[in-house]
Amino acid sequence: MTNTYDIAIIGGGIMGCGAALRIKEGGMDPVVIDQGDIGQGASGVNAGTLSMQIKRVKLMPYAIKGHHEWQLMGEKVGFKKTGGLTLAFNDREAELLQERMTMKRDAGADITFVNPKKVEEIEPHLAKKIVAASFCPDDGYANSSLSGQYYRGRLTDENIDTIERFQVSEININSNGYEISSGDQVIKATRILIACGGLTKHVAAMLGEDLPIRARINTVSVTERAPRIMNGVIGHATGLLTMKQKDNGTVLIGGGWQGKGTPEEGRGAINPETLLPNLQLAQFAVPTLSKVRVVRSWTGFEANVPDFYPLAGRLGEKDNAYILGCVRGGYTIGPYISKLMGDLILGREPEMPLFDPNRVFNEDKLI
Amino acid sequence: MIRRAAEITFQFDGDEFTAFDGETISAALLRSGQKNIRSAPTGAPRGMFCGMGVCQECVVEVDGKKTEACRKKVKAGLIVRKATYV
Amino acid sequence: MYDVIVIGAGPAGVNAAIEADNLGYSVLIIDEQGSAGGQVWRNKSSSIIDAPKTETSIKGNALRDALMSSNVSVKYEARVWHIEKCDTIWNIHIENDVLTSKNLIIATGAYERIIPIPGWTLPGVIGLAGATALFKEHMMVPGHKTVVAGSGPLLFYVANEIERLGGTVEAIVSLNSRFDWLKSLLIMITQPILLWQGFKWVTAFYKKTIWQSAPIKFEGADHIELVKIKKVDDDWKPIGKEQILEADSVCYGQGLIPAIEASRLAGAEHHYDETLGGWVPTIDDMGRTSIEGLFVCGDNAGILGALAAPIRGKNAAQAINKNGVVYDIGKFERFGKAMTALSIPRAGLLNLIDTDTDVCRCEGVTRKEIEHEIITGAQSPNAIKSGTRCGMGPCGGRFCADAQAMINEHVTGKTREDIGLPTARPPLRPMPMDQITEELNYDDLPIPGVSPL
Repeated sequence: MTNTYDIAIIGGGIMGCGAALRIKEGGMDPVVIDQGDIGQGASGVNAGTLSMQIKRVKLMPYAIKGHHEWQLMGEKVGFKKTGGLTLAFNDREAELLQERMTMKRDAGADITFVNPKKVEEIEPHLAKKIVAASFCPDDGYANSSLSGQYYRGRLTDENIDTIERFQVSEININSNGYEISSGDQVIKATRILIACGGLTKHVAAMLGEDLPIRARINTVSVTERAPRIMNGVIGHATGLLTMKQKDNGTVLIGGGWQGKGTPEEGRGAINPETLLPNLQLAQFAVPTLSKVRVVRSWTGFEANVPDFYPLAGRLGEKDNAYILGCVRGGYTIGPYISKLMGDLILGREPEMPLFDPNRVFNEDKLI
Repeated sequence: MIRRAAEITFQFDGDEFTAFDGETISAALLRSGQKNIRSAPTGAPRGMFCGMGVCQECVVEVDGKKTEACRKKVKAGLIVRKATYV
Repeated sequence: MYDVIVIGAGPAGVNAAIEADNLGYSVLIIDEQGSAGGQVWRNKSSSIIDAPKTETSIKGNALRDALMSSNVSVKYEARVWHIEKCDTIWNIHIENDVLTSKNLIIATGAYERIIPIPGWTLPGVIGLAGATALFKEHMMVPGHKTVVAGSGPLLFYVANEIERLGGTVEAIVSLNSRFDWLKSLLIMITQPILLWQGFKWVTAFYKKTIWQSAPIKFEGADHIELVKIKKVDDDWKPIGKEQILEADSVCYGQGLIPAIEASRLAGAEHHYDETLGGWVPTIDDMGRTSIEGLFVCGDNAGILGALAAPIRGKNAAQAINKNGVVYDIGKFERFGKAMTALSIPRAGLLNLIDTDTDVCRCEGVTRKEIEHEIITGAQSPNAIKSGTRCGMGPCGGRFCADAQAMINEHVTGKTREDIGLPTARPPLRPMPMDQITEELNYDDLPIPGVSPL
């Protein structure tokens, strides 16, 4: 491989592929590298929720734009706008819901509070134990399993080179740019973008950058096909449950319960001590689920920094090195923020501000 | 000579079937010539296939729960329904 | 806490359990069936009060008696849905319970390789091993007029049982040629009793056997009515004119595949070995895997059949101790491999899988869709699964993974080893949610903190 690319993008998820598409459109020649398959990391195994109600207040404008991108991708990614409910089962949760959803509404999300009677109209199978609920008509989901197929197709259509099964072992910087090695295979590029999710810290370290990135290990489960038991996205005031029933009848259950493992060691594993409460909560919200069988439970890594805001910008003091990751709600926001990232790399002014990776990170305590 | 348990009756999909007490739902249905016991999501008919609780083709509903007919024993008066989907 | 948990109470698992018990370990054996025996020595249903003795019932009862008179604890009708090693302890998750042990022996056996052809999803088409379960458990036949088709020794066993139990075999359609069988004869001589039994079966069905042929299509409205067959060449590619057989039932299969889901979930290394039936755990001669405290025995460690299983079981128990005794399985291994060899898929088989045939029965994914996904760049089983749903259904890919890999092999020219396997994930069987969780007391819900605002 003697070709020198304008930019090597490490990580073939939504972030990396989205940036590659924008960069190519802007006239540069990118290459997308992935240790496994395109779109089979977190982009391909997350629960696919596109919910305004679980987005962070400050990220809401990005989420609204991201949601629009998903809508444009449409059927090819299994996009559905179903509306979504967030539920509170006790007073503490109701208070939490009131406070949080009001702030999210003020940030631009179309969220209203609905009474239990309305809740029953929207989702007749829900437990009759609801104290308070909020509704957002824009909430929905896409099918994350189709991320790989979709982005692989888009990259092929745009003649963007992809190199799968390339496990980066070393990155060298010289006057011409970057040499990225995997064993004796070397890829050369003038610029580099690190967008490899859970492995971002690992790869940034190859460039001498120590970032305070931690990986969360989110658990998702899917059931067999069942009769219709829910119409839209169902969430919980604490954020510890997301559920939706696909058109084929399968129910996807998530909520960020933590599994085991690290991105460096492999794909992670579920932890029964967290999986079971996740499933209990799902059945508590929708009792008919208890008769449905779980077919598969799995985990995916989600990177974050102490303040839970994205890393999106130039990496350290380096020329032509960029980083994009740690985007909470990254599945929703990814297709949009990756465009902004592409614009920055192309030397354009991004439409909305990015998130300086060199900032001081203040710990955002979990409430 | 094979000596079998007493005959009992149970329901499948609204019809009455007989079985030898203690045999599995799939054996009882097959004995009665009822090979088609499920519709796949594509609408195609399905019946018992692997016979050992792996393939999930013979799944029926008992008490609203999907159950492998090749593992579930028939009891007198058991109500078995065809599995339903969206 | 047990010293040893054994998953699977077939001949390998039971012998492993008894041997471990004899060595002084505390042992628990778990099986999803209601009693020990596995598939090969499957116990009779309680609906059968009395019946003539058979080899299955004699050997099965002997196995069950031996287990009963040991100190081994048993747990039947229990389904393992997850396996994890926490430090040095194995956590074995079954319905609403977690069992723990210092050592784990996996003896989960096998399931069938069944090549997808048009109509293979029709009711009345069942696996060859599935048919044996009917014979052994219920002493019944799959229909009135049965075509028995596929490869390997099970064909003749199934045909014989059908007629013994009062059914009619319309024909045996054997992929293997007479010459294939002759080639195994030398090894079969080491097992004179089995050879004699096999000889009796083959001669009994000689006239009904259509050698070197395969079904190319099963037809019928809502159940099987017609079987269309063709001759195959030495590569098992269908050739020549179509022949039509009438049948109300078909027993169909092309050998066994090791059930490795449990050992994969437990984290053991695996490799591909077609002489052992496909993907198998990488082990030493006693069944030690790449994971400390994890042992495998029986057909899930490679298809060697019921003769080798007891010895493999004993070896797995001996393997717990570094200086354990090794029992020799030499001649049983050679015999088992010779039988397995009769079903090693040949390249021409792929021609049986019509482009519009559902390869994935659960999700209805055709060969054409799988090929398209591979041609457009899906490189791995995970990627193919994600894009097409092939293998995403309730059987967990057990009945499509092999055919999917054959198609991949054909399209990309990659080896099975390079193609690899999809990520192993629990549950090992579809689990009703209320069977793995207890009812929630909402206030006890361990809320780890809400997401950042």
